[in-house]
Amino acid sequence: MKDRFSSFHPIVNFVYFAAVLLFGMVFMHPILQTASLASALLYSIMLNGKKAVTFNVLYMLPLLLVTAVLNPLFNHAGVTILFYLKNGNPITLESIAYGVSAACMFVTVIIWFSCYNAVMTSDKFIYLFGKIMPALSLIFSMVLRFVPRYIAQLKVISNAQKCIGRDVSQGSILARARNGMTILSIMTTWALENAIETADSMKSRGYGLPGRTSFSLFRFDNRDKLVFLLMLGLIAVILTGAVLGENTMRFFPSIKVPDKSLLSFTVYMAYLGLGLLPVIINVLEEVKWKRIESRM
Amino acid sequence: METYRIEDVVFAFPEKEKEALSHISLTIKSGEFITICGKSGCGKSTLLRQLKSILTPHGKRSGKIYFCGQPIEEVDQRTQASEIGFVLQNPDNQIVTDKVWHELAFGLESLGCDSATIRLRVAEMASFFGIHTWFRKNVSELSGGQKQLLNLASIMAMHPSVLILDEPTSQLDPIAASDFLETVKKINRELGTTIIMTEHRLEEIIPITDRLIVMDEGAIIAEGLPEHVGAALNRMKHPMFLSMPTPMQIHAGVSSGLPSPVTVKDGRQWLNAYMSGKTPVAIDIIEDSPKQASAPVIQFKDVWFKHDRNGPDVIKDLTFTVEAGQFYCLVGGNGTGKTTTLSLMSGILQPYRGKILIGGKNPLKMNVKELFTNNVGILPQNPQTLFVKKTVRLDLYEMLSQTALTKEEKASMIDEMVAFAELDHLLDIHPYDLSGGEQQRAALAKVLLLEPRVLLLDEPTKGLDGFFKEKLARFLQKLNASGVTIVMVSHDVEFCAKYGEICSMFFDGSMITTNTAIRFFAGNSFYTTAANRMARHIWSDGVTIEGVIERCQKSR
Repeated sequence: MKDRFSSFHPIVNFVYFAAVLLFGMVFMHPILQTASLASALLYSIMLNGKKAVTFNVLYMLPLLLVTAVLNPLFNHAGVTILFYLKNGNPITLESIAYGVSAACMFVTVIIWFSCYNAVMTSDKFIYLFGKIMPALSLIFSMVLRFVPRYIAQLKVISNAQKCIGRDVSQGSILARARNGMTILSIMTTWALENAIETADSMKSRGYGLPGRTSFSLFRFDNRDKLVFLLMLGLIAVILTGAVLGENTMRFFPSIKVPDKSLLSFTVYMAYLGLGLLPVIINVLEEVKWKRIESRM
Repeated sequence: METYRIEDVVFAFPEKEKEALSHISLTIKSGEFITICGKSGCGKSTLLRQLKSILTPHGKRSGKIYFCGQPIEEVDQRTQASEIGFVLQNPDNQIVTDKVWHELAFGLESLGCDSATIRLRVAEMASFFGIHTWFRKNVSELSGGQKQLLNLASIMAMHPSVLILDEPTSQLDPIAASDFLETVKKINRELGTTIIMTEHRLEEIIPITDRLIVMDEGAIIAEGLPEHVGAALNRMKHPMFLSMPTPMQIHAGVSSGLPSPVTVKDGRQWLNAYMSGKTPVAIDIIEDSPKQASAPVIQFKDVWFKHDRNGPDVIKDLTFTVEAGQFYCLVGGNGTGKTTTLSLMSGILQPYRGKILIGGKNPLKMNVKELFTNNVGILPQNPQTLFVKKTVRLDLYEMLSQTALTKEEKASMIDEMVAFAELDHLLDIHPYDLSGGEQQRAALAKVLLLEPRVLLLDEPTKGLDGFFKEKLARFLQKLNASGVTIVMVSHDVEFCAKYGEICSMFFDGSMITTNTAIRFFAGNSFYTTAANRMARHIWSDGVTIEGVIERCQKSR
């Protein structure tokens, strides 16, 4: 299934991920954490399919368990003592709860990052940076052009040297090292020599004139606006909750979850809505498409 | 209206006595198509670079250059950047960014255009050049021809009034080159952009050019309509005449009193007019008596190759034999497996089925020394990949550094090689400062120091002008005469016809036909030399210019 959320403007993508990552790290509240973890899991599976399932089961689940177990072994704060270890240290309910919560947070953030990687491709990243620093975005673009080019050229040089018996794969260890140095030296000369023509080409197209602009194919259209506003609204609700102390709980010395109220319920729903935003967009688009298809 | 007026320009590089340009005067009208030709190092590129201040090399210049009536120094950089488009030789080096669309927008970004303008111009250019199908691709996925087209388009996006091209097709294969020239022609015809270009491939460019300028030693020696310039060069007995289109050369070789043809089509009509009332003479193909069946040097037996497990087969059931002392040419289109075949011979690649024998042995089982010393020598497509040292001399010595020879032996070997390759005046120059033809010879000298018995060449004539090609050919013939077997991959049909002994046509991963050069080209109808295309309705075996001239002269 093709992800539709990726087709939104990079600003929308970026703000979304910035928000979920930040909230995921800061808010330690069982309901919010469960919501965040669930939506991260769902979205990662939607994006990467089977690969995400194996990744989550094989790496994230053990990581979650290990982190959850490790905390109470080293952290002995809390008032509800369950039992004592052989060395006399207490194991407390609070430290176990905190361990589970921290592990959950850790895993959630990692899964969100895996989604981020799939959605924020290099050109989106370059575009965002270009907004802040135009020169930097050109450098990124040039790096992406020249690194593959140099690697290809290295292969050409290595093959040419192989034909006169001077490749890194030929001769004694000492000879190989020497051949490697030679190849690097040829590469450097070649790169510098050819860069002159690149510089000429840039200058001849007016590079260096004052007032350079930065062009991109991305457009901020109405659907971007709609989703962006919706997202900002949800973020505002969540932040209000944070200011009123609804989004965090107390672990030490004793566990205390904020009281449930209409406000806290609204915050939970907003948080779940934010987390599931890409999933909802994908599902809606899919339903719409199915309907069009059935009519055709 | 004139685009450029050049008045008595003299230019010399710093610390050089000799003038690179001497007393050039030229007026270029708006909308003209001007082609400048000449041997490499004659000052063509230096002249072109005078026409845009930011690309002008350091040096002493006198005389005046006016751009649209204004001295070029006084035209501000912004105007020059957008009004004067400049396309350079190497398609790869000119591309700056990683995406096709970004490259198209690069110049406009520099000029500070807003997004809406850039969007429009980029879209226009992509449609005009047919780039829209690969608009979002990475530039690394493009072919050489596409890259050069992209360079042209990204310059045209700035709406220049004059387009300067410095040997833009020298790195392209013939098909891509004619596509490119076709586009340049379209720009000139449909947009009225002034074109000033230097070119080696005159065959295709002369029919569309308004004015041909020939330079030698930094001066203009002939100028005017192509037909007149051709006649003038012929009168001067100038070596550049050998670069003129085949019909012109044949016409000059046969004194007929008819006007000179330029294209193959004109040439055919001229030939018909000339031959009317005469009986065409048949000349038997005199082939060197077939060399007594000598030992096979390279044998391919049912060879199959693919790059990866699930990839398509690149070489399919290839079987052929190269015998000792042959000059073997592999011709054919792009991506038909010619270069892959060379790599298979040198053991860089490995077939997954079938057998390759070099001198009766499998190259993969030989050790490095056995395979590349006294056995197989390879000249890569880009000679720059072989140069290691600061000067040509050091580079040649480096080649012998791993042998157990005494100093005197090394010196005498190198002296011999230098004399053979005519490198004596170039010994203390950095290899990168040599011209294309000289680099080719220096690299060849390097490879020959390993005393190969078989020499594999990959497109040795790429980017060389007619004069250097001739030189390279003589050089290869000398080698061939001394017993070295030569296997050459080339797109250069004329070169193979003139100097090759055996030619093979590659198509779809295997050989379609193999024959002696003359019989091979006489048997093809399209994939053959211009001389043959012009004369094949009368003499199907007239393959080279000399051959056709001889037949014309003998017909009564």
